[in-house]
Amino acid sequence: MNTVKTLSRSLASRVARLDALPAPPQDEPEVLSNVVEAAVAALARGETHYTDRPGIPEFRAWVADHLAERYNVLVDPSEVTVTCGSTEARFVTMTLLVEAGGAVLCPGDSSRIRGALHILGADVVDSIQDDISLLYITPDDYRETAIELLQRAEDANWWIVYDLSFAKSAPPFHPAQNEKLASRVVTIDSLSADLAGWRLGWMAGSAAALRLRAGKQAITICTTAVSQWAGLEFLKANVS
Amino acid sequence: MSLVNPNIPESVRAVASDGTQLRYALMEMARGMDDVITLGRGDPDLPTPSHIVDAANRAMREGRTGLTAAQGLPQLRRAIADHMREHKGLPVAAGNVMVTTGGQEGLFLAIQALIEPGDEILVPDPRYTSYDDAIRRAGGIMVMVPTDREDAFNLEAEAVEAAITPASKALLIVTPSNPTAGIVTEDRLRAIADVCIRHNLIVIVDEIYSRIIYAPWRHFSIGSLPGMAERTITLDAFSKAYAMTGWRCGYVAAPENVIEAMARVKQVTTGPVATVSQWAGLAAITGPQDCVNEYLKIYTERRAVLLDGLDRMGFAYGEPRGGLFVWADSSSTGIHATELSYLLLKEGRVLIFPGTAFGENWREYVRITLLEPIETLRTAVERMLPVLERYRV
Repeated sequence: MNTVKTLSRSLASRVARLDALPAPPQDEPEVLSNVVEAAVAALARGETHYTDRPGIPEFRAWVADHLAERYNVLVDPSEVTVTCGSTEARFVTMTLLVEAGGAVLCPGDSSRIRGALHILGADVVDSIQDDISLLYITPDDYRETAIELLQRAEDANWWIVYDLSFAKSAPPFHPAQNEKLASRVVTIDSLSADLAGWRLGWMAGSAAALRLRAGKQAITICTTAVSQWAGLEFLKANVS
Repeated sequence: MSLVNPNIPESVRAVASDGTQLRYALMEMARGMDDVITLGRGDPDLPTPSHIVDAANRAMREGRTGLTAAQGLPQLRRAIADHMREHKGLPVAAGNVMVTTGGQEGLFLAIQALIEPGDEILVPDPRYTSYDDAIRRAGGIMVMVPTDREDAFNLEAEAVEAAITPASKALLIVTPSNPTAGIVTEDRLRAIADVCIRHNLIVIVDEIYSRIIYAPWRHFSIGSLPGMAERTITLDAFSKAYAMTGWRCGYVAAPENVIEAMARVKQVTTGPVATVSQWAGLAAITGPQDCVNEYLKIYTERRAVLLDGLDRMGFAYGEPRGGLFVWADSSSTGIHATELSYLLLKEGRVLIFPGTAFGENWREYVRITLLEPIETLRTAVERMLPVLERYRV
């Protein structure tokens, strides 16, 4: 089966420049016992079926409450979708909010969105040009630069993705605090730092929330049920 | 036959032409009602067998929950390869296998790895419309291959060949089929394989229901035929056979370079499968298999009850040979399938899916699952009968 003349000629060009696969991390990060026991309890309750497509209601409610309390950003739980890590959240938002041939403006580290954009056939750029439709920023970007670009986004009607996952800093700033921008801001976050192997992330807010939910459903239907219950326990116990 | 009932809510009417969204709209509607019997979604009502849950619990308590490689746990890939060699006759090793976030992601990754804009994919009609989005996103074009009830929705090589054009790139087979519950039999698959080799087609075959086959029928894997391994992507998952839908754990067997390409796509799409689910999958595929046979026995009994009910309703059907559904011809009612589903939900409190959720032309078919206990299925039939009598044209 290793002689694959037929299919080796058939690989789509979109996969040609994707990065080689990294080796998996060797460490097994310790998971708090209350998180494990919450997962065990969920399985004992029979939480082994598909969850609601956007995720369990309790998890989505936590995300909405957190955005309100931490950032004063109002998002309805129905606008939150739980994803398989922030990777899926980024892939879905990039590929649904940007057209093939378009461009994403990223003033900081673009390494986490390049693969999705390559599959889509879109570019990532670090300066303003005509075909930009989405601004990707994180809390680690220079604040002055981000604010300047957000003003531009307001005029140009760009989508904005504010990615909190992997952020080294945690300022109370959030682009959706600007009412004029709020309907175009998707917030991405995850538990990738603490529960990487459980594959939990989320995307929240924006006028495109239902479209993003459908986009996630088309790839993985829903996020692993037991992970959602474990993650909910982690969030309640560890994130104020 | 058109959608005329003015009472059909806008939430359903607005998505009537999108199979996947139509199903979700009906599920949302059912969720807002009391005492609904849900025979819509393909989510087994049976529990994940306890030895699988126990294995997951052990993995979590022993801290074996760190991130894996995108292709999956090596132990699981080896076990899947062993299983596919032994039970499906596929000539595969661990390097030909990757673990996916359910069966649906397997299809998504395969399409992304293989399909270029403008490529045509031959798809038996009716179809599992949840795959449409993946094909559209890659710029692929679906070309329908007809199947029919008289033939129990088996797929004919002649029909496949008739649909081939210079742009044809791949054939997508789902066997047992969702929604029809038909299977593509070994004789037909042999003939289809000849067509695919002659026309240099890739075959993507979804075998997620392959452990749920009703006697005397049996599953056959097209990838086991000479000359097919190098052109076949075989998709499967733990979801249906072991009642593990919520774990989101599936797998793919394919040539190594395709696995490598799919894994690169997966790395930027969703990342590895949740590790606890992979340990559960390992327990499923290496542990006792009595549960699969026990569940099959339960589904067989339910199927008999539902078919009896359909006979009473005057619905015809192709023999359901596998899977968890019955695909029934509702034309005797004279009611559009979407409207019929709405009426049965609204007035009978039974959720079924209209045929239009599985292809635009299936206005006279409905899909009903076997995923409730026998007594509940009997109740569902009793609820549906008076609604049908009231509205039958």
